[in-house]
Amino acid sequence: MARSQATKQGWIGWIFFSDLAAGLMLTLRYMFSKTVTHHYPDAEKWLPYERHRGHHFMKTNDEGDVNCVACELCSKICPCDCIIVIPFEDDKGNRRPQVFDIDLARCLYCGLCEDACPADAIKLGREYEMSEISTGALVVHLDDLVAAPDKARDGGQLVPARLIPGDNPHSEVIAGKDGRDWWRSIRRD
Amino acid sequence: MESIIVILPLLVKMGIVVAVLLLLPLPLTWLERKIAAHIQQRPGPMRVGWHGLLQPLADAIKLLTKEDHIPMDADRLLFKMAPVVALVPPFVVFVAIPFGEPVQIFGSSYTLALSDMNVGLLFILAVSGIGVFGVILAGWASNSKYAVLGSLRSIAQMISYEIPMGFSVIGVVMLAGSMNLSDIVHAQDGLWNIVYQPIGFFVFFVAGLAEAQRIPFDLPEAEGDLGAGYHTEYSGIRFSLFMLAEYVVMVVLALLNALLFFGGWLGAPPFLPPALWLLLKTGFFIWVFMWFRFTFPRYRYDQLMSIGWKVLLPLSLLNILISGIFMF
Ligand code: SF4
Ligand code: SF4
Repeated sequence: MARSQATKQGWIGWIFFSDLAAGLMLTLRYMFSKTVTHHYPDAEKWLPYERHRGHHFMKTNDEGDVNCVACELCSKICPCDCIIVIPFEDDKGNRRPQVFDIDLARCLYCGLCEDACPADAIKLGREYEMSEISTGALVVHLDDLVAAPDKARDGGQLVPARLIPGDNPHSEVIAGKDGRDWWRSIRRD
Repeated sequence: MESIIVILPLLVKMGIVVAVLLLLPLPLTWLERKIAAHIQQRPGPMRVGWHGLLQPLADAIKLLTKEDHIPMDADRLLFKMAPVVALVPPFVVFVAIPFGEPVQIFGSSYTLALSDMNVGLLFILAVSGIGVFGVILAGWASNSKYAVLGSLRSIAQMISYEIPMGFSVIGVVMLAGSMNLSDIVHAQDGLWNIVYQPIGFFVFFVAGLAEAQRIPFDLPEAEGDLGAGYHTEYSGIRFSLFMLAEYVVMVVLALLNALLFFGGWLGAPPFLPPALWLLLKTGFFIWVFMWFRFTFPRYRYDQLMSIGWKVLLPLSLLNILISGIFMF
């Protein structure tokens, strides 16, 4: 029995197991508090914060061209060496990437490419459901990057969702329903 | 013809008890996992059936269809015997446990016990003591160091805790003047024994936790330091027999707590049948056992021994002395 505890609470507390009782009360309170588990993917889905570093996306300008000027800085700084950029000159005379491939299977989502980019082109977005059958399918190209979802604007919510099975299984948020802030609902006492 | 009339109800009762006991671990494992989960703010099993209710069924199928592995240098006969030896005593204990007053069906009276014997309590303590042989044999026959250590611990633990357990119920026997469990329950008609025997209850409860090898006294199967203790080498159906035995022992102890100290089936609210009331009390104790399991850490081996010999044994003797003085 915990002697140090006993000296603090005196021998009466020791006789009536005040420390054990305190532990039991704690677990009892926890037993009847709300659970915090995400019921992902078929009932709930977590919306990432703006700072979340997920699937890359490529920004485009008003004319519909990609922002990227194919400077290859991202490919140089990438610690995983997973970006391949091959430049060419488009019809307007601008330097643009002809090939822009990212191997998401090797990427560690550090965000260095985003920091290095001088043209505000490559960004890491909100998408995090990227499972594939083969790693080859995780090499994404320029058109995939342009179509990928951008950064989240609010986040941290757990919202109702449903599972869409099929070739590209994913969890779809059910629109118009309020979520819960699961992080705040964790009991900490 | 006469003998059929005697034997048939007995067979029916036996069948019911065995069937219930064999199926009981299914809801109990579910309950245990749910309680563990909720204490840790998880929902526990949720996917198989409503709130995971069918999960134990899936687990049972998994366990029963797994490979039944026997270590190469194991003592094969003892290895195969051990789970059965561990399983039988907790089942046999139910012979002496009454679940309520005799009931009248078609004019003839049936007791709600397999045998309402006059030495019921002694029988229960004696038979449940045999259960430790299963653990010892399992540890010895496995030819594995973790299993042997686990079974050594369980021998020491069982012997140390059976003594205070036996002494702690003497107060109850003194009050009832009988070892028959029905008489003990009837003797609590006015006030439950917990009022007269708080020390006895405490000793019985703690020793019971140790007998059932539940946390904080689960040293024989301490996952942290012994792999899985005495059943490290068991798999498949033999492992599930050990698990079954553990759950039945827990049910036995919960039942005994309810019968000896909490008035058994007495004091049921009018809308509840007394047998159900007894089961509710039992369920409460099972819940308390599980609650303890996920609250407390495990005692160290020397602490276990000193609690048994230096705390519980003197307390149980003191309890007998006090009961004697009061009755005198
Ligand atoms: S996030 Fe990091 S690892 Fe991934 S592509 Fe960008 S720089 Fe490379
Ligand atoms: S994405 Fe940015 S850093 Fe990478 S090549 Fe294009 S402009 Fe340069």
